[in-house]
Amino acid sequence: MYLRSTAFWVMTGLLAAPAGAAGPLQVTAKVLTEQKTRAADGSVRVALVPARRVVPGDRVVFVLGYRNTGSQPIGNIVLDNPVPAAIAYRGPSQSSAAPDVSVDGKTYGPLATLRVRLADGATRAAAPDDVTSVRWRLANTVPAGAQGQLSFQAVLK
Amino acid sequence: MKRTTYGFLLAGTATVFASGAAHAQTAAQNTTAGTTVSNTASVTYSVNGTTQTTNSTTASFVVDRKVNFTVIRDQTGATQVNLSQTGAYTSFKVTNTTNGTQDFLLNAYQTGIIGGLLTGTDDFDLTNLKIYVDSNRNGTYDPGVDTATFIDELAPDGSIEVFIVGDIPATATINQADVALQVIAAGGGATGTQGTALVPTDLNLGNADNSVDVVFADGDSDGLGVDIVRNGQGWAYASYAIGTRNVALTVNKTALILSDGVNAANPKALPGAVVQYCMLANNATLTASANGVTITDPIPVNTTYVPGSLAIGLPGGTCTLLPTITAPFSGSYDTPSNAIIANIGTVIGGGTVAVSFRVTIN
Repeated sequence: MYLRSTAFWVMTGLLAAPAGAAGPLQVTAKVLTEQKTRAADGSVRVALVPARRVVPGDRVVFVLGYRNTGSQPIGNIVLDNPVPAAIAYRGPSQSSAAPDVSVDGKTYGPLATLRVRLADGATRAAAPDDVTSVRWRLANTVPAGAQGQLSFQAVLK
Repeated sequence: MKRTTYGFLLAGTATVFASGAAHAQTAAQNTTAGTTVSNTASVTYSVNGTTQTTNSTTASFVVDRKVNFTVIRDQTGATQVNLSQTGAYTSFKVTNTTNGTQDFLLNAYQTGIIGGLLTGTDDFDLTNLKIYVDSNRNGTYDPGVDTATFIDELAPDGSIEVFIVGDIPATATINQADVALQVIAAGGGATGTQGTALVPTDLNLGNADNSVDVVFADGDSDGLGVDIVRNGQGWAYASYAIGTRNVALTVNKTALILSDGVNAANPKALPGAVVQYCMLANNATLTASANGVTITDPIPVNTTYVPGSLAIGLPGGTCTLLPTITAPFSGSYDTPSNAIIANIGTVIGGGTVAVSFRVTIN
């Protein structure tokens, strides 16, 4: 076990994590957008491409890629992603774990369990538009060298 | 080195994703073109029991310009005009639904209008055709006030009226003129300066990232007509129709014995009695003025005109409101023809002008 860890350590040292990166966990953010192309037979293909051309109403996908570049397993990973101001949360991507969401930055949970407080003191059920922050809490430990990807779908307001 | 890819497939937690299309909102609520949207996640984790924090890299993009607007004819039916009328106008409304403030360029055409867009048949052209923007935003064309020829800095969701203004020829046989308004989206940003027409950005060009691209999202505003979707243009059409070729001008003449020198309470038509004649010139056509109206009335035989008794003006009292000739009217007693001549000029639609004079019975 000790030898194996050392071997990993040497290899990651050779691969050289980006300069200035402090910890062993590297998290990369990406924004993708749907690009629709019409094939000759009339069918429409939707591909996810880097967000170059985005106008209000367009679907965008926010992706967080993480990788353990260290030699030790990493546990208790919590990724907290405030939803940018011009973005309306829609839901998790198909390939991603569903995040907990929050409408106030304090209470996190599935959207169905959240309520929004109104000006008159009453509350109503939270809608996707109310989400201000999404959070993933990884239950499993991420071994050295392992990586994964989390994402959520949104619409540009 | 083999890497493990973690896929988090948590059964039962996947939410059905079906919204997005129902996200109706106005242009003003849309994110303004040029806004940078950045996303960064903060991360905490532990290694061997030691808690650490880090941030993700930041992913960002620039919101592009989604050019969209509507142009409609903002009047019911054709504009009713008269022969030789000047400054006749048709009204249109331009609404900016772009996620940014924009200029709009305006062109007017009288040819190339495809049949079927408007009812009736075009058979004449207006002269001196101009386009003006409703600068004072009162919904009607004000000559000399609404002088802008392009729409300057129209905010998202903003609307403004545009008028096509022209003169109607005097040709007696003409019936209808059709006009087309072309609106072209142009760059805003400088108040009082006409922007240049926008061109959609070619994504294949370099440096398309992190810059504001222009994306045309406008619809086909006229179906049959020349407009097509996503061309940064809008078209609308309107007609002028010759509505009135004549007016219902009537003159109603009455006589009233003012005094006979004998019976003050109930004067009779005796020799020496003073009689007032009253003529009411009425234009019953509400939509058109009668111009160049002149009334010539011979003094009846066996009577003598009372010098200085001619009065022209608004009706009131026993005939005219005032016992004088009030501006803009003029008139006189013509001695050779023994007649009064009243130059009334214009009687507006629905208006009445009164003319009175007095005679004595010989």
